[in-house]
Amino acid sequence: MGEPVLRLRGIVKRFPGVVALRGIDFEVRPHEILGLVGENGAGKSTLMKILVGLERPDEGEIVLRGRPVVLDGPETAIRHGIGMVFQEGCMIPNLSVLDNLFLCHEDGFTRFGLLSPRAMAERAREQLAVVGLTDLDPRQQMSELSPARKQMVEVARLLWLSELYQVQNPTLILDEPTTVLQEGEVRILFSLLAKLRERASIVFISHRLEEVVQHTDRVYVLKDGEHVGTLERPAPDAPAPEVPGVVRLMVGHELSAEHYRESMQTEPGQEVVLRARGLRKTGAFRDFSLDLHAGEIVGLVGLLGSGKEEVCRCLTGAERPDGGSIEVRGQRVRFASPKDAIAVGVGCVPIDRRSDGLATTLDVADNVNLLVLRRLLAGPFLSPRRERESAEHWVRECLIKAPSLRTPCGNLSGGNQQKLVIAKWLAAQVQVLILDHPTRGIDVGAKDEIYARIRTLAASGMSLLIMCDTLEEDIGLSNRLVVMKDGAIVREIACAPRRKPPPVEVVSYVV
Amino acid sequence: MKRSRLVQPLTISLALLVGLVGVFTLGNPSFLSAYNVSTILNAVAILLAVGLGQVCVILTGGIDLSVGSIMSLVSVVLMMTVGRLGYGAYPLVALIGLFSGLLNGLIVSKLKIPSFIATLGTQGVLVSIAYLLSAGPLTAAEDAYGVLDFVNGHLGPIQATWIISAVMLALYYAMQRFMPLGRQIIYIGANERMSWLAGLDIDRARILAFAFSGFGAAVAGIVLSATLFSGYPTMGLPYVLNSIAVVVVGGTAMTGGAGGVLNTVVGAVIMGVIQNGLTVIGVDVYGQQVFLGILVIIAVAVTFDRSKVAIIK
Repeated sequence: MGEPVLRLRGIVKRFPGVVALRGIDFEVRPHEILGLVGENGAGKSTLMKILVGLERPDEGEIVLRGRPVVLDGPETAIRHGIGMVFQEGCMIPNLSVLDNLFLCHEDGFTRFGLLSPRAMAERAREQLAVVGLTDLDPRQQMSELSPARKQMVEVARLLWLSELYQVQNPTLILDEPTTVLQEGEVRILFSLLAKLRERASIVFISHRLEEVVQHTDRVYVLKDGEHVGTLERPAPDAPAPEVPGVVRLMVGHELSAEHYRESMQTEPGQEVVLRARGLRKTGAFRDFSLDLHAGEIVGLVGLLGSGKEEVCRCLTGAERPDGGSIEVRGQRVRFASPKDAIAVGVGCVPIDRRSDGLATTLDVADNVNLLVLRRLLAGPFLSPRRERESAEHWVRECLIKAPSLRTPCGNLSGGNQQKLVIAKWLAAQVQVLILDHPTRGIDVGAKDEIYARIRTLAASGMSLLIMCDTLEEDIGLSNRLVVMKDGAIVREIACAPRRKPPPVEVVSYVV
Repeated sequence: MKRSRLVQPLTISLALLVGLVGVFTLGNPSFLSAYNVSTILNAVAILLAVGLGQVCVILTGGIDLSVGSIMSLVSVVLMMTVGRLGYGAYPLVALIGLFSGLLNGLIVSKLKIPSFIATLGTQGVLVSIAYLLSAGPLTAAEDAYGVLDFVNGHLGPIQATWIISAVMLALYYAMQRFMPLGRQIIYIGANERMSWLAGLDIDRARILAFAFSGFGAAVAGIVLSATLFSGYPTMGLPYVLNSIAVVVVGGTAMTGGAGGVLNTVVGAVIMGVIQNGLTVIGVDVYGQQVFLGILVIIAVAVTFDRSKVAIIK
C-alpha cells in the first residue's frame, strides 16, 4: 500500500485532571477500512475530535499526504478531505435531503445569482446514487428518513464535499454507525463501505467487535490513551482476527469466555407479574398480549417499526395505548404517565441515558436517590445522613466507579452512567424493569457487569423485559423471545440455557 | 464534550463581593461604617426576599417576571388596609403574593406555555389591579406607624429587617436543601424529561416553585413599602431586573438545575453593596443602571449552560 493519506505523530491531549491521549501514532492508508476500538474513556472520541478539528492536540503533529497541517475546525478538516458521520447524526431534521446535502455549500448551484433547484436536485440524485439511495426523493424531509438512510445521506454529503474541494481519497470517519441500525441495514452498510473504499479511506469506530474484525483491514486498539496494538489482516480473503485477541488488548485481560453469563440463567417462577392483553396503538402495534413471570427475562425482538418501542412506552406509561388492558400482579392498571407505572413497581431504563435517564449536571447521590426521596425523610426534612447512606449503598452494590458521591454524573463513563440509571431503579424496588438497549455504547468490561446484574436481578425474582443492541444479546440473555413484525407478535421462542436458538432462525421470523 | 468546571460560580461571586467592598472602601472610607452597613443590610433584606423567590423559579429553568408587580400590588394593598386591619394586613398581602404565584404556576404548567410569556401576562394584570385600587401614591396613616414597626423597629441593636432576612433565609434554605420539593425543583431544571420519566410530579413542583416566588415577592413588597411608609403601582418595577440580577450574580444558572439559596444570599449582598457603594462614591442613578446591566450580562455569560440550548434565541 502507498504512502498513508493521514498520519498522526506523538499526539498528546490533556484535559483538566486527565490525559486523554498519551503520545499516539496513528495512520490511515489509502483505500483501507480501519477499525478503531477501545473501551469507553480509552481516547477514541478525543482522537476523532482531533481529526475533524474539534479539539487541538497539545503536542504532536498531523500530516496529510506528506504535508503537516493544522486542523482548527470541521471546516478546515473537510477542506482537507476528513469528514465524520456522527453517532447521533448532525443533519437538520426539518430541511429536505437536498438542502442537507449541500448545506452551506450551495454556491456552485447559482444561476444568475439565484439558486437553481433543478441543478441541485439533479446533482443530489447523482450523489445519492453513489451511496445506493437510488430510490430516495431528494425533496423528502430529513426527519422522515430511517437512521440508516440518514447516515447514508451524511456519507453522500461528505463524499460530495471532498469532490468539491478536489481531494483524492478522502477519509470518512464513522462513529458507531451500526448502533442505530437493524440487522439487515448493517449488512447493507458494510457492502456499501466495501464499495466506497475504492474512492475513500474509512475509519470505523464500533463497540461491536465482531463487526469490526469482519469488515476491516486493520484493527487499531486504544487503551487508556495509548496505542496498545494493531491487528492486521494480511489479505482481504485471509481469516479475520479473533475477537478474544482484540478484547485482550482492549481490557488488558481476557473476559470469561462465556457469553451473556448463560450459566447464571435461572428458571422463571409461576406467578405472572405483568400481564398485557390485546394492547393496541393505532399505527404502531395491535393485539399485543404478554405474560411476564416473576424472575423471567423476556427479549422483545423486531425491526425498527415493528412496534416494539411503542409497546415498551405503553408498558411504562410514557404513552397511552388505544385499547387493551394491563395488569400488574392481578390488578388492572391504567398508566396516565410514568408516575402511575412506577407506583405499581414498573420501571424503565431508557435507551438514551444522557437525555432520558440522568440529570448529567447533578451528582451521583442526587441521581441515585431521585426516586426514593420520601424514604430518606426524617420528619418533614431529608436526612443528609440517610441520603449519603442510601447513595453509598447503591454505588457499592452496583459497582459504580465514581471519584465521589458529589461527582457530576456527566463526568462518568458510559458504563458507569448506565449502572447509575439501573441503581436508581433498584433503589426504588421496582418489580418489573424494562431495559431499552441496556448495553448501548458501553465498553466490553461494563457490558459483562450489566449482564451479570441482569442475571442476579432475575434470580432475585424481578421480571425483566429487554430490547438489546444485537440479536445475539437478546437470545443470550432471555428466557424467552417475543418476536414482533409489522406491529404484531409473530412468534415466541424459548431460550433455555445451552439450547439457545441460532440467530439465523430468529432472523427468519423478524424479517 | 466533558468540561470540568475549575472554579465554582459561588467562589467567583464571593471574590467579586470582596473586591467590590475593597473598591468602595477605598473610594469612600465611611463605606464600612456601622451606619452604612446597616443601610446596606436593609436594602439587602428586600433584594434577598425577592431573590429567594425568584431563584426557586429559575432553578426549574423558568423565570418569574411578575415579582415586581406583586411587590407593587402588595405595597398598595398594605397601605390601604394597614390602618383598618392592623397586623392582619401582613398575612393578607402575604396571601396575595402566594396566590399570584400559584396562579403563575398553574398557567405555566396547565396551559403549558413558557413562564416568560405567562408571567409577562400576569405582570400586566397585577399592575393594572394596583392601578385600579389606587392610581396615585398612598402613604401610611400616622396611627399605623406602630404596626409598621414590625418592619422598621429593632430588638436592641438588631434591626427587624435583619430578622426578617434571617427567617426568610432559614425557610428557603430548609425548603431547598432538606425537603423533597427543593430537590424536585432542581431535578426539573436539570432534566425535565428524565424527571417525568422517573415519575416526578412536575406540575406540582413547578406550581409550588412559583408560589414560593410569589411569597418572596410579597415579603419584599412588605419591607419596601413599610420602610418608605408608602405604596404605589410602580413601586416594585425595578425589582424584576434586580431579582434576576441577585440570582445570576450569585452564580445560579438561568438554564436551571444549578445554584440555589446560598448563591442567592451572596448575590443579594453583592447587589446591596453595589447599589449602596455606587451611591456612596458618587455614581448617579443612570450610571448605576449601566453598571447593573453589564453585570447581569457578564453573570449570565459565566453561568449559562450552553449545552442545554441548541440555538441561542
